[in-house]
Amino acid sequence: MANERKSGLKASLRKYTGKALKATIKGVLFYAVYFVLWMFVAPFATMIPGLQQSIETFVAIYITLMVIGELMAGTIYQYFFGAGKAMFVILYLMLSLKGGIMGMTIENINLLIDLRLFLAIAMLLSLLGLAKSVLQAINYVNDKAELTLT
Amino acid sequence: MIGIATTIFWAFLIIFSISAAYSVKDFQFDFGDPQMSIALDNKLLFSLPIHIQNRGLYNLGSFNVTTDISDANGSPIAHGSTFVQTIRKGERVTVFHNVTMDINDVIQNSSSYLFSDSQLNIAESVGMSLAELIPVQASANLSYPWGAPLYNFALGAPAYEPYNITHIKVTVPISFENHAFFDLAGDLQINMYNSQDLSLGAGTATINAPQHSPYSGNIELYIAMTPQATPSGYFELTLHAQYFNYGPWVILYG
Repeated sequence: MANERKSGLKASLRKYTGKALKATIKGVLFYAVYFVLWMFVAPFATMIPGLQQSIETFVAIYITLMVIGELMAGTIYQYFFGAGKAMFVILYLMLSLKGGIMGMTIENINLLIDLRLFLAIAMLLSLLGLAKSVLQAINYVNDKAELTLT
Repeated sequence: MIGIATTIFWAFLIIFSISAAYSVKDFQFDFGDPQMSIALDNKLLFSLPIHIQNRGLYNLGSFNVTTDISDANGSPIAHGSTFVQTIRKGERVTVFHNVTMDINDVIQNSSSYLFSDSQLNIAESVGMSLAELIPVQASANLSYPWGAPLYNFALGAPAYEPYNITHIKVTVPISFENHAFFDLAGDLQINMYNSQDLSLGAGTATINAPQHSPYSGNIELYIAMTPQATPSGYFELTLHAQYFNYGPWVILYG
C-alpha cells in the first residue's frame, strides 16, 4: 500500500516536472525568438515612443499565458488558457494598433502607417487559434464523457 | 495540423513585418538643389530633384510626393504631384518633383502680395507602400516667407522742366525693393491725370530689379502746356512684368 502510494507520488512528480520543464523550454524559446527579432526592431523603437514598453508587456503576458497553459496540460484549463491567449492577442492588437491606422507626430512631421492588412491577417490567425482551442476543449469533454460511460 | 499551419503563418507574418520595417533604414532619400525656371506659359516652375535608393529587401510601391501651396487665407496657389509606380530593390531612381506657380494667381488673390512681405503655407506629403503592401505617409505643414516684388513702392514728387514751347517734361522718381525670389523685369506704364480726371500724358519705363535688391529710377513723361495741367492729381500705373501683369493702380500727387 505504502509502495503503491510512493510510486503514484513519483509518477505525478515526474509528470509535473515534465510539464514544468516543457513550459520553461517553451517560455525561454519564445523569449529568445522575441530577443532576436527585437534586434531588428530596435532602431525604430527610439523613434516611436512607447513601442518597446508595449511589445514587452505583450510578450510578458503572452509568455505567462503560454506557461500556465502548458502547466495545465491534460486538463480542460489548458484549452481555456489557449482560448484566452488567442483572445488576448486579438484585443491587444486591436487596441495597440488603434484599428490598423497608426498616426504619430515626430518633430512637426505627421506619420501615418496603414497596418489594416497586417491586422486583418493577425486577427484571422488568432481567430483560427481561438477556434482550435474551443474545438479541442469540446473534444476533451467528449473524450471524458465517453470514458465515464465506459 | 491547424496548430502547425497557424504557427507557420504566424512566423511568416512576423518575419515579413519585421523585415519590411527593417528595410526602411535601407531606403535613402536625397534632395538635390531646387531649380527655378520659366514654363512655356510664363509660369514659374520649381523643380526639386529627389534621389531614391532602395537597398531594402522589398520593392517600394506607389511612391508619391505632393505639394500644395496656399495663401494665408487658405486659397490654393499651386499644386504639384509626383508619382512613381514601383522602385525595385537595389534600384536607384531620380525623380523631379515639379510645382508650377502662377504669380498672377497669387496677386489676383490679394494685391498685398505685391507690396507687402507675407507667408505662404506649404502642405508637403510623401507616401509610399512598404513592400508594396504597407502604406506609409508622412506629411508636414510648413510656412514659407513670401517676399513682395514691389515692397515699399513709392513715387517721388514729380519734377517739371520745360521740354519745348508746347510740352513739359515730367520726371517721376520710382523706388521699391524687390524682396521676391525671382528677378523683376518688365515695363511700368504711367498715366498722369489732373484733379478733374483728364489725362495729361503717359510714359513708360523699363524696370529691371534683381531678386532681393532695391531699385530706384525715374520715369519720364511729356505733358502739354495747357491750363488743364493742375498741380495736383493722380498717376495711374500698370506693370507688365515677365511673370505677371498688374494694374492699373492709383497714386496721388501734389
